Amino acid sequence: MKSVKIGSGSAFWGDIFEPALEMAQRSDVQYIGFDHLAELTMALLNRMKSKNPEAGYIPDIIPWMKTLLPVTMPKGIKMITDAGGANPIQGALEVKKIAKSLNLDGMKIGVVYGDDILPDLDRLRKDGWKFKNLDTGEEDLDSIRKDIIAANAYIGADLITKELNNGADVVITGRASDNALYVGPLMHEFGWDFSDKYVDKVGAAVTVGHIIECAACVTGGMSNMWKVSKRPWEIGFPIAEVYENGDAVITKTPGSGGIVNEWTVKEHLIYEVMDPSNYMMPDGIADFTSLKLKEEGPDRVRVTGMRGKKRPDTLKVCIGYRNGFIGEGSAFFPWPDALEKAKWADKWVRERFKRLGIKFEDFRIDYIGVNMLHGEAAPIEDKDYNEVGIRIVGRTKTYDEADAVRREATHLWTMGPVGVSFGVPLTVRPVVALWPSLVPRDAVKVESQLMEV
Amino acid sequence: MKKVLLRDIAFSRSGDKGDVCNVGIMAKSKNIYNFLVKNLTPGKIKEHYKGMIKGNVEIYPMPNIDCIEVVLRRSLGGGATCTLRFDQTGKSMCTAMLRMEMEVDESLVKEAKKTDKEIQKKYGS
Repeated sequence: MKSVKIGSGSAFWGDIFEPALEMAQRSDVQYIGFDHLAELTMALLNRMKSKNPEAGYIPDIIPWMKTLLPVTMPKGIKMITDAGGANPIQGALEVKKIAKSLNLDGMKIGVVYGDDILPDLDRLRKDGWKFKNLDTGEEDLDSIRKDIIAANAYIGADLITKELNNGADVVITGRASDNALYVGPLMHEFGWDFSDKYVDKVGAAVTVGHIIECAACVTGGMSNMWKVSKRPWEIGFPIAEVYENGDAVITKTPGSGGIVNEWTVKEHLIYEVMDPSNYMMPDGIADFTSLKLKEEGPDRVRVTGMRGKKRPDTLKVCIGYRNGFIGEGSAFFPWPDALEKAKWADKWVRERFKRLGIKFEDFRIDYIGVNMLHGEAAPIEDKDYNEVGIRIVGRTKTYDEADAVRREATHLWTMGPVGVSFGVPLTVRPVVALWPSLVPRDAVKVESQLMEV
Repeated sequence: MKKVLLRDIAFSRSGDKGDVCNVGIMAKSKNIYNFLVKNLTPGKIKEHYKGMIKGNVEIYPMPNIDCIEVVLRRSLGGGATCTLRFDQTGKSMCTAMLRMEMEVDESLVKEAKKTDKEIQKKYGS
């Protein structure tokens, strides 16, 4: 039975690099997918592009491609990446330059774009489309319209598949769904399409994409198996061997560290999923409640019985808008009476902010080492702690007010209780809030082209 | 019957989608899964997080892999980019869930311990 091997080389902008290189060197994968975009990244890349029209792609693509292409091209490994970000064409031109310098004449680069719907936002609203906020239920964009700085649809695999069919060695996209980077090659290889005949197959591709798209997160990263993961500092990224019948084996780069077992696959199947029987992606809706897992050897888990439903008529869209500033600071108190000192500082800063008349949109104080992570769900122990930190953080409408939060926290360093210690002060950060919504699929004009080196 | 913490009988992992946190729970045995499906209710979970969850709690059973998906709406202080919480993406919400106290049959505790031992034996060095 025909099978295809596809691996994951990156899960976010800033991910470690060696696993992708080692996968290319040591394994027999045919495809490697690279995700670099988080929800917030598009707004950041848009800002970079507005300052420099030749920026807006993920800059890591340059060193990564320089190192990877000499390995992938001779082996025929194709790479699919969303590193195009807010400027996929420029990203592709940069890769073309690198390929040229490596004498990879004839190399083909597919570029997929059109996810940016910011220019169409008002027209679509005029035509009657409501960008309802999926989190809050708010119907109307009016309240945030003037602050919107990005609106990107999560596009599917259609044109990734098309450019692979055209012979692309590398495909660079804008805001494609992470999932589509994996679905595209599988549809291309197996000739699957979006007809009823292949819904379960595409459902399997969506499921496999979900399992491997967060890279280390299924090979022992962020894992309940952290105690038994082998040489985690040499962690290998995941590889899926996908079969024509829609089954798959999840494994990782030969000889790498980390771990793949039924628990690591399970913990990823339940990760960042809402209704597991309707895992909605642009290319299909996967049902995670029908599949079966079987560990068939060390670092090998077979997944069978994957199912799907037809792709939705809408695409997810992330609208980013400016929403004030966050100022933050901290100070740390040693034994004895560390928690009491933190509580003293809590009162001190609150009184200071009252005196300064700062208006907060949101404000919070955490006791580091006590309740910063589990919040109200953390029981506060009655003991004399070795040390407790205080974290003071506020969101305000203006930069100056947020800066005052930062500044008052630093004043604790000289005016706090005895033994108060401090580190590096943080800077005020502008907030880009997200308005998750939907857009009709046919309203997003996705395009692609093929560049040849 | 024995008093245990959820951590004794299950694993968990959490993440975010906007202001929604999802906590996946992996039961350490089939019987534990069946117990949890019956006993974990949206009300209990909301109470457990003591005011951290402003929206609804939804529970989705996954009997095929003995897991339960718990969806906590409006639980991340406005979502990763706006929230003032240090754990912006709710990654630690999963272990907060594991603090939950429950009374279970002794046999389930034994099964959980057996699974823990098997994991150590099979994968540990």
